[in-house]
Amino acid sequence: MMRRREFLPAAVAALLAGVPRGSAAQRPRPPDRHLEGREASWYRKLPDRRVECQLCPRACQVADQERGGCGVRENRGGVYYTLVHSLPCTVHLDPIEKKPFFHVLPGERALSWATAGCNVECKFCQNWEISQFRPEQVASFGATPEELARQARAAGARLLSATYTEPVVFWEYVRDAARAARFLGVRTTVVSNGYISEQPLKEVLPHLAAVKVDLKSFRESFYREVVRGELKPVLRTLEIVRASGVWLEIVVLLIPTLNDSEAEIRDLARWVRANLGPEVPLHFTRFHPTYRLTNLPPTPVATLERAHAITRAEGLDFVYLGNLPGHPAAHTLCPGCGERLIERAGFTVRENRLRRGACPTCSRPIPGLWS
Amino acid sequence: MSPRVTRRDLARLAGLAALAGPLSPPAAAAPRARVALATLTAESLTPATARTALEKALVAATGAASAGAALRALFKSTDTVGIKLNCLAGRGMSPRPELVEALAALLGEAGLSRDRIIVFERSARELRRAGFTPGERDSYRCVPIDNDYDPEPSTSGSIGSCFARLASTTCTALVSFGVVKDHDLAGISCGAKNWYGIIHNPNKYHDGNCDPYLADLLRHPYVRHKVRLNILDGVTAQCHGGPAYRPDATWPLGQLAVSTDLLAADAWAWQVIDAERVRRRLPTLAAAGRPPRWLATAQQYGLGTGDPTQVEIVRA
Repeated sequence: MMRRREFLPAAVAALLAGVPRGSAAQRPRPPDRHLEGREASWYRKLPDRRVECQLCPRACQVADQERGGCGVRENRGGVYYTLVHSLPCTVHLDPIEKKPFFHVLPGERALSWATAGCNVECKFCQNWEISQFRPEQVASFGATPEELARQARAAGARLLSATYTEPVVFWEYVRDAARAARFLGVRTTVVSNGYISEQPLKEVLPHLAAVKVDLKSFRESFYREVVRGELKPVLRTLEIVRASGVWLEIVVLLIPTLNDSEAEIRDLARWVRANLGPEVPLHFTRFHPTYRLTNLPPTPVATLERAHAITRAEGLDFVYLGNLPGHPAAHTLCPGCGERLIERAGFTVRENRLRRGACPTCSRPIPGLWS
Repeated sequence: MSPRVTRRDLARLAGLAALAGPLSPPAAAAPRARVALATLTAESLTPATARTALEKALVAATGAASAGAALRALFKSTDTVGIKLNCLAGRGMSPRPELVEALAALLGEAGLSRDRIIVFERSARELRRAGFTPGERDSYRCVPIDNDYDPEPSTSGSIGSCFARLASTTCTALVSFGVVKDHDLAGISCGAKNWYGIIHNPNKYHDGNCDPYLADLLRHPYVRHKVRLNILDGVTAQCHGGPAYRPDATWPLGQLAVSTDLLAADAWAWQVIDAERVRRRLPTLAAAGRPPRWLATAQQYGLGTGDPTQVEIVRA
């Protein structure tokens, strides 16, 4: 039965469902239109009307009339434009657990949005039908940062979340939406691959409440061959976010045979513990074949459980398993006494026993954003 | 809506093309790496001179007795021929409508109905900017891709892309109608690079001077087995600042290039662009750090002749 406090979000969600959403799954053919764009915040001009993007480590050098690797930034006569500011292709009201954030306002909802585009090309991308397309190739609609913030507020969402595709490619929009949301008392989270340059990251971090980084693997070779990105800058992002005090969680999608070896998982756990600390939550999620990786099976549950065991044994306090509905490793346990603190079923919080951010049994503080 | 193209369809396409063997006599008799050049200047350009130049180049490129015979050898009347234009640079550096219309007219005279001749580019906006009007024309249909891509990506080596259904499904034969111009990353953007316009995600494949990505795209069955003819409008060429139009980097090359080889016309274009760059005291493309090395990769794949020293130039 729906409680009163659940009614408003549900009602607004129903309203939001009426908002046109882009998905190449339906592959609507948006009308041929000129994308106005607005000048990007992070680039430098080069001779011959060329520009160098300074948003992500790719540092694309882009000739006039061309776009960067993300497909959403265009050089027009030597001025670099973002084409996706205020142009989301999807907006949904999601439980924050779906991001997944397990230590951020459990049970709350996040108005989640994305534009087209991504700065890497994961062969296993779950959202490739919007992330791997250009903005003019998917149905989009206008929503200013202020409108997004107001929608979140109206929906009763305490959080705004840039997610689904890659927020780095719409970083100016994230910055402006986070500013607008904070003004209305809504906090902003980002779900990112972490492949971003230091300067834009540091400029926007103060506006954010939490960052979740999809760490694709702990091997450069995987990043090079499967992601077309680099590991090292992502690790640097993790360190910067952690040092900033913005809440950080990490997700690793375990893909059979590609990034699920015991050695790699152990290396990852040791690096996290040594460089970020044992209290940073680490989620292992189950792979399902899609996009360009359809020749591999879903991740066996045993593989995920082995990763859980390895990382716990290496001293990480909060390790979760995802895409496994009903699995006990979705619950938050007190690292001190083992008490079950937050019980989850899918994306639903069934019980939250935290008391002022601490274990009610042993009083150990549990890190996170709890209020 | 056309049916989805499956891997089985792709395999069948590749197999049929292999079984079909070399082109019928006139084209087969011509060396694979022949590039025919016809003189055509901007000052002399009219529909009539455009047609004459194209006819001469087709004959010289194929060894056929006439342009009609050449086209009949390359295309069946039951083919649906897609003519892919490269219009990114607008009217200043795109294939001229007079030349494209001449090709469409010749194809019509060779037995193809108007409905089976499709001139296309990525968007209606680009077509219009280059002087083409989408819709039914006298001798062809002008159609933008306008985001009509296959629903699933198709992989070829390092690339994975959704192909325009015009190329994957609608057309049974393809023609690249490009220009002779410099490209900031690929080195040149002439006939081969034109095919980036049939995939949904070309922005992903510009690293490493487009190598091996462009070669991998060219070896996809949709390109490798459907492309029959490569034409470059070299009336005006551009040696620097591409792919956008840079008037100060253009010069009157005065050539129309035709080849049945997937790579040879580009190999020729590379040389003329480099020659002009040297004349202007610009570094060669290799010295500038952007040699079109994908030509060599594509040649290694067996797609044609990308080595300029192996290309035979014939004057029409």
